[in-house]
Amino acid sequence: MSEHRTDWLGALVVLVALALVPAILGSSYITGIMTVALCFAMWAASWDFMSGLTGRENFGHSLFIGAGAYTAGFLNVNFGASPWWSLAASPLVAVAFSLVIGFPTLRLRGPYFALAMLSGAAVMQSLTIIFSEYTGGQDGLNGLFPFFDSELTQYYLTLFFLAATVTTLRLVANSPWGTILRAIRGDEASCQAAGINVTFYKIASLMISAAFAGLGGALYAHYQLQVGPDLFAVILSINIIIMVYVGGMGSIYGPVGGAILLILLTEALRAFSEYRLWVYTLILMLILFFLPQGLVAPLWRRLRTIAQ
Amino acid sequence: MKALLAVDGLNKRFGGLQAVKDVSFALEPGSITGVLGPNGAGKTTLFNLLTGFMTADTGKVEFDDEPLLGLAPYRIVNRGLARTFQLTRPFVGMSVLENVEVACFAPRVRHEGHARARAHAMLEHVGLAPKAASLVDVLPYGDLRRLEIARALATRPKLLLLDEPFAGLGSSEIQPLADLIRELHRKEGLTILIIEHKLRELMQLAHEVIAMDFGEVVATGVPAEIVRHPRVVEAYIGKAEIGESGGALGAA
Repeated sequence: MSEHRTDWLGALVVLVALALVPAILGSSYITGIMTVALCFAMWAASWDFMSGLTGRENFGHSLFIGAGAYTAGFLNVNFGASPWWSLAASPLVAVAFSLVIGFPTLRLRGPYFALAMLSGAAVMQSLTIIFSEYTGGQDGLNGLFPFFDSELTQYYLTLFFLAATVTTLRLVANSPWGTILRAIRGDEASCQAAGINVTFYKIASLMISAAFAGLGGALYAHYQLQVGPDLFAVILSINIIIMVYVGGMGSIYGPVGGAILLILLTEALRAFSEYRLWVYTLILMLILFFLPQGLVAPLWRRLRTIAQ
Repeated sequence: MKALLAVDGLNKRFGGLQAVKDVSFALEPGSITGVLGPNGAGKTTLFNLLTGFMTADTGKVEFDDEPLLGLAPYRIVNRGLARTFQLTRPFVGMSVLENVEVACFAPRVRHEGHARARAHAMLEHVGLAPKAASLVDVLPYGDLRRLEIARALATRPKLLLLDEPFAGLGSSEIQPLADLIRELHRKEGLTILIIEHKLRELMQLAHEVIAMDFGEVVATGVPAEIVRHPRVVEAYIGKAEIGESGGALGAA
């Protein structure tokens, strides 16, 4: 069996397993946590698509998440638009933000892109406070409509979009596009010498990354029924990067596993109450120290070899 | 014959250093031309100007009757002017085949058949086909040189710029590479411009040599003349007894 066939088969198994989680555990508590975990998985996978493949680190992925979530909030709370509109509008707005940051900075080499993403998210977080009459300030926008009243249906909707995201990103990553993006990671000057318009591919991949992050933002907003300035926070961006590293950078499916794993770990560690962050950080350090390639992607490859 | 590449009055200054000074020359289609000069003579800067990796201060470059200066490097490649780097720059973490495949996605050649098949053909061309599946990270230096050439060839250039293709190669690797370059020239009718400071290799290959020193073209001519040219001798071994030095250089 070819590598790709094994991969798709494995993905199908994981998808079925994820679909069965609420049925087996049957608790709305777990379903809720898993819905959030799937949103983080979308964010981690979309981060990985641009930064994991091209090696251009994005320290402000929360810019796209917040942009998507607030777009959903504005449309829904201020204009009473149906949540389904958010699914189209949020990715578009996130893509617009990616152009504002990516267009001037991705033509340059050096740290400009990483810094612009970081500060772009920080600026947006401040703006939500400054324009609090529109954004609700610290409290954010409240009372968004859910997609469905049933938590279970909401979970399946999120799972559907996560599956669509990962499938799309993997298909692109396995196409000539993916080869070019990985070549950019290898050496930008050589890419130019190979006749490749490096800037175009970097900006386009950032746009794709932003679209799916924004989509995740909309799903998250209509699940939490609330959006707040924390969705632009640096710590959110950092957490996503950690999830990608734990999952295994550049694989797209790895970060999905990393995100689900770390969200579940955070919940599992509630028992440690005030020591939770200590334990969490310790576990992270151990993982990153002993498994610099990440946990999920190498494990997957091992399983793939066994399956074949 | 109409020149394929015409360089006219090219200048590049880095602060107080005039790296390329008023350089003019023309390349005829189908020729192999060498650029000779000691380290720091401005050879690589000249290449970077021609390929768009640096912008010239003044001057004109025409390739195939079209101006080239000011174009982004990838656009120049897609006009049919490809280069290799002096220090090989492979795409690390990718296979040998993928490294060449990237160049098959360039707009100029994107529609010329299946990228993977074309990449494979290029590897066969340079004798790397048996290593197509290996990671470039483990490739010996001599093979990396060939890989650079395969990658450049994949863009189907009219003019190929080779930046010190023999640098860092052992004596057993030099001759096969020289043979490869000669074969590319003969079979494909490729026009080639080679930077080299190893005289012997250049003498073998080049029909004509452009000698540079301190950013200037100090002499142009057939290899045998160039190695006896006083300015070239001076650049290489200082002001010496010129009578003997021609022979000494030939053996250098």
